[in-house]
Amino acid sequence: MLRYLAKRGITYLLMIFLTTSAGYFLAVTSLKPALLEQERIPRPTPEQVANSMRLKGLDPGLSPWERYVDWLTGIVTRWDWGRSPNGAFINAEFGDRVWISTRLFLASIVLTLVIGVALGVYSAARQYKFQDRVITSYSYLAYIVPAPIAYFLVQLGAININETVGERIFFVTGISTPGMEPGWAQFIDMLAHYAVPTIAITLVGWGSYQIAQRQYLLDNVNADFVRTARAKGLTRNQAITRHALRVSFIPVAQSIAFTIPAIFAGGFFAEKIFAWPGVGSWSIDAISLQDVNAATATLAYGSVIFALGAILADFATTLVDPRVRVQ
Amino acid sequence: MTNLNAVDPAAAAEEAHLQNADVMIAKSTIIFRRFMRNKTAVAGLLIFLALTVFSFVGGYLTPWDKETIDPFNIGMPPSADHFLGTSQAGIDLYAMTVEGTRISILIGLIVGLVSVLIAAVYGCTMAYFGGKVDKVMLFVLEALIMMPALLVVAVATSGGGEGLKKSLPSWLLLIIVLLVFSWMGTARLIRSLSMSLMQRDYVKAAQYMGVPPRRIVWRHLVPNIGSLLVLDVTRGVTGAILAEVAFSFIGIGIKVPDVSLGVLIGGATSQVQTFPWMFWVPLTVMFLLTGSLAMMNDGLRDAFDPSSSSIGKARKNSTKKKSA
Repeated sequence: MLRYLAKRGITYLLMIFLTTSAGYFLAVTSLKPALLEQERIPRPTPEQVANSMRLKGLDPGLSPWERYVDWLTGIVTRWDWGRSPNGAFINAEFGDRVWISTRLFLASIVLTLVIGVALGVYSAARQYKFQDRVITSYSYLAYIVPAPIAYFLVQLGAININETVGERIFFVTGISTPGMEPGWAQFIDMLAHYAVPTIAITLVGWGSYQIAQRQYLLDNVNADFVRTARAKGLTRNQAITRHALRVSFIPVAQSIAFTIPAIFAGGFFAEKIFAWPGVGSWSIDAISLQDVNAATATLAYGSVIFALGAILADFATTLVDPRVRVQ
Repeated sequence: MTNLNAVDPAAAAEEAHLQNADVMIAKSTIIFRRFMRNKTAVAGLLIFLALTVFSFVGGYLTPWDKETIDPFNIGMPPSADHFLGTSQAGIDLYAMTVEGTRISILIGLIVGLVSVLIAAVYGCTMAYFGGKVDKVMLFVLEALIMMPALLVVAVATSGGGEGLKKSLPSWLLLIIVLLVFSWMGTARLIRSLSMSLMQRDYVKAAQYMGVPPRRIVWRHLVPNIGSLLVLDVTRGVTGAILAEVAFSFIGIGIKVPDVSLGVLIGGATSQVQTFPWMFWVPLTVMFLLTGSLAMMNDGLRDAFDPSSSSIGKARKNSTKKKSA
């Protein structure tokens, strides 16, 4: 088990290295921070711009390969991901933002999974009945709405509730009210800021899990091993929960690896729309500010998230699937 | 003495005709009939076709186009003069919606079709050769899945204004980037399905007979995963339209002066209270577009699924059996 995970880990490390390097070359050849610098008032001379860039390790005079080697040496020797054109250090900036993102998504990811799988099982047990039709139609509806538009609609709904009640119940943007007293008031404030983004992400996310879980469970409900279990005297529900459920969860567990990056991608939209200063909105801003190092750092973060998801999926599969025996 | 074994050509032809026409129904006919029995799916197909026609000929129904500013009607709600009202810059919303629908459908169709084609070729090649080739190609595929597509789209469409961005319109650039990042999931699926097909006897026989790999892939693998490919085309078209709308909504992807549904929806969010029609009209068109595709997809899946019992009945007592 450990050896297998270590082997997977090394493969993913190699992949992260390759994607990040490719991303760096893409960014370094297409993003030109020096051009933005020239829009300042008073306009600096080209020498001044080149000088200030050189001090931050962003020398536009060097070739992409030389800059790549410099950047990579910095990471390998000092774990230094470089600096932004405005002088900020990527390591510090990233450290602040990654917690905001994690706080925003952890609750939503868990809720999405639990609700999606539970509703999938519920609707599969009532195939083609009224409840199944309603739940599955909802999932298809969630599938045809692009995430940012769904978030925006939830935001509009929350604003309407606030206006109807005449009091601010939900905060639709930001992560906290500045200058709150620590304690109970701060806790309530945090919840009020949390509620709308978490509800929005969860509402959009669970549909795909529900459809997948329903489909796989239905594929297994009439399988021989479930019939055997019923012949042993189990009720239909017992046979499904003890035997079919476990097998049908395996492909769903595998799909988690590929939905975690999707939720992360949805995260760009959520952070942008709800104005949470997390990694996602930072990466979009970094690109519009022509910030090579910040863009590459967020890309590396995305790759790491994917690798973690894939390893978790492998791990979950070995836990639920009796056929998988890993040495 | 007459030869008892001689076959009367006329009778043989008659028999063949009978077999084709009445006794055996071609697979494509069955699928077509099943699809047409599904009212929802047919409705979806009609809505999609109507939208496509609208996006090509709708422009001739109004004297306005997406660039002309009407200085006497700025930010006006729908009226006889401007069917769907005007923007706060005084541009006719109807003309922009026609143009945006066309760009969105175009992006969806190109990306949907070509990405499935890439996925089929890539997935079949992996499965056919197996071994080292499979390992290397799988590595490349997973590395591509790992790349956050959104960041690459953002860099490619909003970088420093280099040669590529100047010479290509933004919708073409978006198509290229979406294509690079949209085929991996399907390719993985096709790989695993083709791998099991490779174990079949007829493929082994073809290999021993010295049939070249390219022919085996086209003659034996592709037809057997055809239903999956068709389903993935509709899914891919939906996915591409959704991605275009999502990216353009937050301001990466399609750039003004090019118009798409995402640009229209995204541009209208800040004035949703003052100019509601600017937001709801393109949003409704997008819902019709993706909704009709989802309805078609559902109907196609049922038509291709030999054990489906969800809609209609071709024969009595259709039993539901699925392999686990």
